[in-house]
Amino acid sequence: MSDAATGVRSLADRIAARMLDASVLERVVIALVATALALLIGAVIVAASGYDAVEFVSSLVYGAVGNVSNLAFMLRQSSMLILTGVAVAVAFRAGVFNIGVQGQFVVGGFAATLGILFAAPLLPNSPVSAIPLLALATLLALAAGGAYGALPGVMKAYAGANEVITTIMLNFIASGVVYFLLDAYLRPEGAAAPNTEQFPDYVGLPGLVFESPSFSILGLGVALLTVVVVYLVMDRTGFGYDLVTSGYQEPAAKYSGVDPKRMIVRTMTISGMIAGLAGALFAIMILGYYSDPNTFPTFGFDAIAVSLLAANNPLGVIPAGLLFGGLDAGGQYIGFTLDVPSELVDGVIGLIVLFVAAPELFRAAGQYTSLGGDRE
Amino acid sequence: MTDTTAPAVQLTDITKRFGDVVANDSVDLTLDRGSIHAVIGENGAGKTTLMNVLYGLYDPNEGTIAIDGEPRSFDSPRDAIAAGIGMIHQHFQLVDNMTVLQNIVLGHEPSTRGLVDEQAARRRITDICDTYGFSVDEHLDTPIEELGLGIQQHVEIVKSLYRGADTLILDEPTAVLTPQEVEGLFDVMEALTADGRSLIFITHKLDEAMHAADDITVLRDGSAVGTVDAAATSQNELARMMVGREVLFDVDSRGGTPGEVALTVDGVTVRDERGLEQVRDVSLSVREGEILGIAGVEGNGQQELIEAITGMRTPERGTVSLQGRDITELSRRRRIEDGISYVPGDRLEEGLVQDYSLVRNALLSNQTMDAFSDGLFLDWGRIGDHADEIIDAYDVRPRNPEATAKSLSGGNQQKFIVGRELERDPSVLVAAHPTRGVDIGSIEFIHQRFQDMRAEGVAILLVSSKLDEVQKLSDRTAVMYEGSVVDTVDPDDVTEEELGLLMAGRARDGTERAARGTEGDA
Amino acid sequence: MSTARALLDDRRTLLGVLGALVAVIALLLFVDLPGSDLVTVGALERALQAATPIALAAIGGLYAEKSGVFNIGLEGFMIFGALVGAAVAWLLAGGEGITQVHLWVAFVAVAVVSGVLATLFAVLLIRYEANQIVAGLAVWFIGLGFGPFAATVLWGGVSSPSLPNVDAVSVPVLAEIPVLGRLFFDASPLVLLTIVVAVAAWVVLFRTRYGYWVQAAGENPEALDTAGIDVNRVRYATVIFSGVMAGLGGAVLSIGIGSGFTGTGVTMVDGRGWIAIVAYLFGNYNPLGTYGASLLFGAMDMLQIQLQTIGISLPGSITGLFPYVAVLVVLVGVGYTRVPSAVGESYDTEE
Repeated sequence: MSDAATGVRSLADRIAARMLDASVLERVVIALVATALALLIGAVIVAASGYDAVEFVSSLVYGAVGNVSNLAFMLRQSSMLILTGVAVAVAFRAGVFNIGVQGQFVVGGFAATLGILFAAPLLPNSPVSAIPLLALATLLALAAGGAYGALPGVMKAYAGANEVITTIMLNFIASGVVYFLLDAYLRPEGAAAPNTEQFPDYVGLPGLVFESPSFSILGLGVALLTVVVVYLVMDRTGFGYDLVTSGYQEPAAKYSGVDPKRMIVRTMTISGMIAGLAGALFAIMILGYYSDPNTFPTFGFDAIAVSLLAANNPLGVIPAGLLFGGLDAGGQYIGFTLDVPSELVDGVIGLIVLFVAAPELFRAAGQYTSLGGDRE
Repeated sequence: MTDTTAPAVQLTDITKRFGDVVANDSVDLTLDRGSIHAVIGENGAGKTTLMNVLYGLYDPNEGTIAIDGEPRSFDSPRDAIAAGIGMIHQHFQLVDNMTVLQNIVLGHEPSTRGLVDEQAARRRITDICDTYGFSVDEHLDTPIEELGLGIQQHVEIVKSLYRGADTLILDEPTAVLTPQEVEGLFDVMEALTADGRSLIFITHKLDEAMHAADDITVLRDGSAVGTVDAAATSQNELARMMVGREVLFDVDSRGGTPGEVALTVDGVTVRDERGLEQVRDVSLSVREGEILGIAGVEGNGQQELIEAITGMRTPERGTVSLQGRDITELSRRRRIEDGISYVPGDRLEEGLVQDYSLVRNALLSNQTMDAFSDGLFLDWGRIGDHADEIIDAYDVRPRNPEATAKSLSGGNQQKFIVGRELERDPSVLVAAHPTRGVDIGSIEFIHQRFQDMRAEGVAILLVSSKLDEVQKLSDRTAVMYEGSVVDTVDPDDVTEEELGLLMAGRARDGTERAARGTEGDA
Repeated sequence: MSTARALLDDRRTLLGVLGALVAVIALLLFVDLPGSDLVTVGALERALQAATPIALAAIGGLYAEKSGVFNIGLEGFMIFGALVGAAVAWLLAGGEGITQVHLWVAFVAVAVVSGVLATLFAVLLIRYEANQIVAGLAVWFIGLGFGPFAATVLWGGVSSPSLPNVDAVSVPVLAEIPVLGRLFFDASPLVLLTIVVAVAAWVVLFRTRYGYWVQAAGENPEALDTAGIDVNRVRYATVIFSGVMAGLGGAVLSIGIGSGFTGTGVTMVDGRGWIAIVAYLFGNYNPLGTYGASLLFGAMDMLQIQLQTIGISLPGSITGLFPYVAVLVVLVGVGYTRVPSAVGESYDTEE
């Protein structure tokens, strides 16, 4: 091979070796640099396309945090992304690629909806009923999401079915079946759209702090609380240790007493449960009724990017979720107020994923790479 | 024209290092044209490495290769194949779901306008088969996975011949064959040499080496001990050359009076993933305060036996009992909790999580210990202390509990694992190859700890392919060969040669150990 | 191995089943039986068209996975292909008056661009041993982001304006053959081309040395290495091939049989990249079987329209699910399809 090519190759090897060995601090820096770089490129593209780059970036920021209403929207999106992000992180950390969070989210929200719609008439029509209804909704969401996550888990553990494909299929199936049920059975008389009835007024999260109809600080609280719980379990319990070890080296996990098949199913169940909880939060806090899943925001997919950015670390999901929530809010704001296509923001997100996932890709390469000149 | 009086292969001063480990140390080997040359030695003696050098898979650090008198150097197997060298590996290099024909021609396919010329291939293969009496040409369109191992091996040989091999290397060729198939293989080998080809084969079975080879080279710890004429030597001499260092018998190293029986294995048979029996009807017992050593060349069922005992595998038949209780169906986790510690043979994949710190590794297999939990949660403080204790007591260097496992040398990693497993105060310790790839100082340390444990009443089952280790430590030694225990002996009462013979399947009273009985189907 | 899988593997049974299927379809076409209205020449035509993009991507993905690399980013490559195809055609024509020549040139451009992208992807996967799942997902996300974005820059919205697509070509004489004539010889040339590609792919995989190498690379790379062939070179080739094919599949969607690029929601590709993966799993890594599976999925795509024409109105949301449920059944029930043994493992010569 030519000298130039060898030179480039060894340079790339050295960079790769550096990234492979990056400590946590270094990875945070990488994430920040990647984001800044992606935004910079975005700004350049914007300028090159004939728009005002400065206005672009400033609108992005303003749209996220510029005023109370924007901030509320950003936090709303962030809450959802954090919750779904941690659902993904749990699975990915254990080495199970759950791409089905969107489907589990849909199913969970639907179960919560059913619970509310069917139980509400049985209870007195007063705010007191909110507590039991919310509790019921939450339990149903956890159960449904967990079951819908366990399904591909079982298929993987006992039939060897690739979980990436099964979960993607189940995403489509969830949306299709829920839509059908809504359309056929749950649509109120004469309604045009496949929406359920509205939930009773008192079912919802109180709009503290922010006077927003679709965001309650409690929602963010739920997300953060979930993160904390997941973190504690992962870092401080035997089960969490087993889960993380299974993701690193399954033979070592098995050596230390883990049943690999059961672990896969449990992991998928937990991941599905959290996704289901997100679905309930979405239905209760944001929508107030249930609707065609195909029109829902794709939190479940974006969560994958969130989790990758956070290196599948539950605590890291918080800043990652805030970042993506901000980008989402900023992007939508730009869509309303500026000429610049908001899809650019989607592109920027894609770039961020690439730049950050790239070192993550190197990281995920495993223990026996011999980059950086270690080959025999 | 090649020089036909020159040896077919001449290896001179071949040295191959992997990091700190010297796998081959200035090895000479001469393969005369038309002869069969056996290379024997224990596990880790360097036999396969040497052959991989000859086949172009490895570059030697020093030394030269000459084929038919001409010096050659090989960058890859393609070069070796071009020079007429063919290798039949111990693990067949066959693609399971492709046909015999496709496997034979792989990489050397005759083609017309891009399409593989099957007819030409068939013709050539049939010619080869007719010359040497192979029946491979009857199965050309059968996928490999449907054929028995004996025929697969013939496919491998025909493959080498198809590529024009003049010299064939066979790595442990009889490892997977029935006695009848072994005879068939020897016939093939004779036919090949009668035709002017030269053969090298690697084996640990002394009787086969003597029966089939013209010359035998013995390797030990990477060096060539010597080359002898097969007709003029004896198994005893070979065993001595293979194994023979002075072993200092430490008189004090024997244990006191063993106590109750702690671990019993009764009639255990274990099949592997392919359905082959790896452990056949093995029974043994280990008492408190005793070390039972299991000697034998690796691959004779020791690993599967250990996995059945530690709970990583379920036996097909038989029972495993701990202090009188049947634990055959008990989960791995419960066995750990009930007091069975296990130092695994694979410290890289099983014994440690390479990316974890030593603190996190201290918890591996200790997750459910009360000592480490604080209510619902793990008490990382105490786990950290425990890691410190292990590092301290077992002289693990560097003394940094936050260091990642992979940053430690093999010896230190092993010491840590041993420490972790022993500090649990087990009633039974199962150790597989505990000092493989470990430096001398650490070896001595680990041996001393085992002896200390024995004095405290722990029952220890030690599997090792290092005879000196087994001799030194065990109170009784069982030798495994092809899945069964050949004999159980008193280490003070037996010589190295006798052990070597046992490891090769020959019982002490001179009878051949019945190799394979009626083999269940694969 | 389950009986169902064993049955499918047995060549004679397979041919028998296929033959029966063809007979039934022919019967329904020509004889007026219940269900006949479902099977019309128009329906078959549409099924063939719908199968084409899926088949192209599937055959590419098949080669990659057969050689040991799971290209899970097919969906992303399809999105890029769809976009680039529409964009190049539009740009070449200066915004209006797009001719057939423009379209065909666009296809070539798609192949080139996809090839470049796929090369980068291959380097990441093979040289840097990136996690194949994560890398594939990254390609998908980038496609989802940049596809609609590029569309907006070009056309001011996530979708292109309505574009012409490749004209049907009518072969004289052959087009007069009943049924077959209309299906193959008076139809989009892309359909016929794809069938040719499928056949060629089969021949290459099973009858040429390159095909042998691909199979060995995925099943037992060490055997290939010791036979003297560079395993990674084979894998580079198949991964790049899979990217190009998926790109072309996407281009077929937008300018081959469609009317431009639609970037709403998950873009017009709408999961076909995922279905393509399942198509080759279902087809057991056989290009012909994969084409058949693609046809099946294509038919299901069209099923809803067909059912409506005969008055059955099953909710589209349910019929649209048949392919996905079928996938699950295949992956679990028929014993899991045999994945090449070395998939996902990077190969190092001196380990």
